Amino acid sequence: MSEKQIRLAIGVLGALGVAIVIVLHWMVFFWVPTEATMGIVQRIFYIHVPAWWIAFLGFGIVALCSAAYLWLGDERLDRAAVAGAEAGMIFTTIGLLTGPLWGRVAWGTWWEWEPRLTLALILWFIYLGYFIVRRTAVNPEQGKRFAAVVGVIGVLDIPLIHVSVTWLRSLHPEAVILNPDGLAMDLDASMGATISVGLLAFSLVFASLFLARYTVAGYEHELNLRDAAPGGIQRAEA
Amino acid sequence: MLWRVAPPRSWARGIRNAAHPPFRSPSWDGALSFGLEAVDLVRSFGGLRAVDGVSFQLEPGELLTVFGPNGAGKTTLLRMLGGVMKPNSGQVRVAGEPADVASRDWRHRVGIVSHQSLLYGQLTTTENLLFYGRLFGLRHLKTRIPERLESVGLSDRAHQPARELSRGLKQRLALARALLHDPEVVLLDEPYTGLDPHASAVLREQLASLKDGHRTVVIVTHNIKQGLELSDLVAIQVQGRFSSVTDAASLDLAGFERLYHATVEDPA
Amino acid sequence: MRTYIGLVWAIARKDLLVEFRTLERLIAMGAFVVLIGILFNFSIDTTVVRPQDIAAGLIWMTIIFGGMLGMGRTFSLEEQDGALTGILQSPIPLDALYLGKVLGNFVLLSVMVALVFLVFGMFFGLTFAGSLVSLVGVVASGVLGFVALTTLFSAMATRSSMGEGLLPVLIFPLLVPVIVYGTTATNRLFAGRPFAEVDGNLRMLAAFAIGSTVVCAWLFRFVIEE
Repeated sequence: MSEKQIRLAIGVLGALGVAIVIVLHWMVFFWVPTEATMGIVQRIFYIHVPAWWIAFLGFGIVALCSAAYLWLGDERLDRAAVAGAEAGMIFTTIGLLTGPLWGRVAWGTWWEWEPRLTLALILWFIYLGYFIVRRTAVNPEQGKRFAAVVGVIGVLDIPLIHVSVTWLRSLHPEAVILNPDGLAMDLDASMGATISVGLLAFSLVFASLFLARYTVAGYEHELNLRDAAPGGIQRAEA
Repeated sequence: MLWRVAPPRSWARGIRNAAHPPFRSPSWDGALSFGLEAVDLVRSFGGLRAVDGVSFQLEPGELLTVFGPNGAGKTTLLRMLGGVMKPNSGQVRVAGEPADVASRDWRHRVGIVSHQSLLYGQLTTTENLLFYGRLFGLRHLKTRIPERLESVGLSDRAHQPARELSRGLKQRLALARALLHDPEVVLLDEPYTGLDPHASAVLREQLASLKDGHRTVVIVTHNIKQGLELSDLVAIQVQGRFSSVTDAASLDLAGFERLYHATVEDPA
Repeated sequence: MRTYIGLVWAIARKDLLVEFRTLERLIAMGAFVVLIGILFNFSIDTTVVRPQDIAAGLIWMTIIFGGMLGMGRTFSLEEQDGALTGILQSPIPLDALYLGKVLGNFVLLSVMVALVFLVFGMFFGLTFAGSLVSLVGVVASGVLGFVALTTLFSAMATRSSMGEGLLPVLIFPLLVPVIVYGTTATNRLFAGRPFAEVDGNLRMLAAFAIGSTVVCAWLFRFVIEE
């Protein structure tokens, strides 16, 4: 694809995504019926749940591209990993912010050590570590590898974290926990449609962000090379 | 006579511009394996090309000195030759074998001396050598270490912690460390830094005996006077490239200094 | 195989020799452990909670904070006079270098952990003599998992402008399983429960320890190579 086509794709995906996000909000607030047991607050699910799916998609991309980058050393894989991480972190943050809003009403507390919630928080911090090692490495080439190592270890540790927290949770059963999974089963058709629209909207926004970040990473790389063209070393010394 | 330095891509100001491609000595028979070869080594940091296409070939017993200003990529070159750093592209060959960063066996044939001592200050002279001897899987360390210490004149300091040694003595220990496993190729990074005239003389003696023992030696330095002694081949590295490679026998100090400054100031 | 173990041991032995000569890390960790024990003691209102009930959690947090104090400097020793260059030039496989570092750190941390149990045992009046063997198993596996991760990340920290400040951000999220299984098992053993009740925890801790050691040994080359 030419540079122009890529820019067009970023713009179209982004615009479409934002447009559907607006439609999604209309659906959430005016169109979809209120869920019987949980009431009005349940509507936040239509934003919360798709955000998490995308967040995990982002983390999947980070993990796969990181492992492949370590294995093959191809710069493009690193660019894809960092693009996935940045876009993924945005949706992780959306998920983390919308969760407690719902929890405050449904559980009566802002925070609950529910396994899913705990995992979400830890995932956010693994993303954070990914960016920090990248930025603070003395040698930027090493920073890329450090970040990839964090990505790989993170994805391997996540299942263990989940298992351990779930196990700990089972020791202290709580009286009322509304499990989002149980809820998903008796979804009304209109609710399913709203969730699907949310997923579509966020996917498009994610794709746009991912593509944009990936392209920018490519520019950064080119710019570095240009700086290092004849004369670049002397400049660096001065 | 000892002309086998392949012209680098950036060959611009070489004394024998016309003589492309690889220079070979008249005695070169095509089958001989070189002590040390570098083939188009490239290494960049971020976008910065610290080493940008360096090639050369050295026979056993030859000493190459690489001059260059700070930041010319000399240390990076040496670290790649020693397998400490991975080149982005290109290859190092030790005694004809590709010196792959991932493979370990060829490392027995190489020794490295840096401007840092590479020693543990808290350990004694003997303990330092014992540690490195074990890393290289050497046998008979009990006899080998005292011999080495003897050869660099440190026998009476065998049980002194390395941090208590003076700069000159420390450098001698660093040399003993690098030569402990009898490497065929010895790499030295600014070995004269911080040495007084006496210590420099000791180092020179050591280098001379390495040459006599048919070791291949590469020294990188920015000190022209000391660097020129003993060298067979002389290269000037500027902005990651060898911009001049010369037979040391044909050089006089003043002429080379002029060439060096001209090269450094106007590398193109 | 024998030479490989010899190389691992050469690294660990050198680290321990340097440490026992300077005692820098041991003093830092030891002082931390005793002093934090004192502070924890004053931080507990004994009219509200019994110290024994929360001792296990405090012990594990102390192991992790104190351990990080010592482990964070694993590679700063190597960078001092450029010794890492000498090691990287030598024929030692990089995973052997890593395992040697892990072994050395594990021994050091074990000394610290023994002190932790001694100090906290006295301060909080704990009795664990009856379940000592199970306790050693639980703590040793937990500590190995912790050391495996911290050793890898301390190599990163040495080459980061953030230095050791990087470690908590990277390690704490990953340590959730160690804390969960380690703390519950330790609590149960303090309460005199039978081994069968901590069997599962021990398995999980051991799996975590072995898994992270193997994975980190493989990943180490990407961190240490220049």
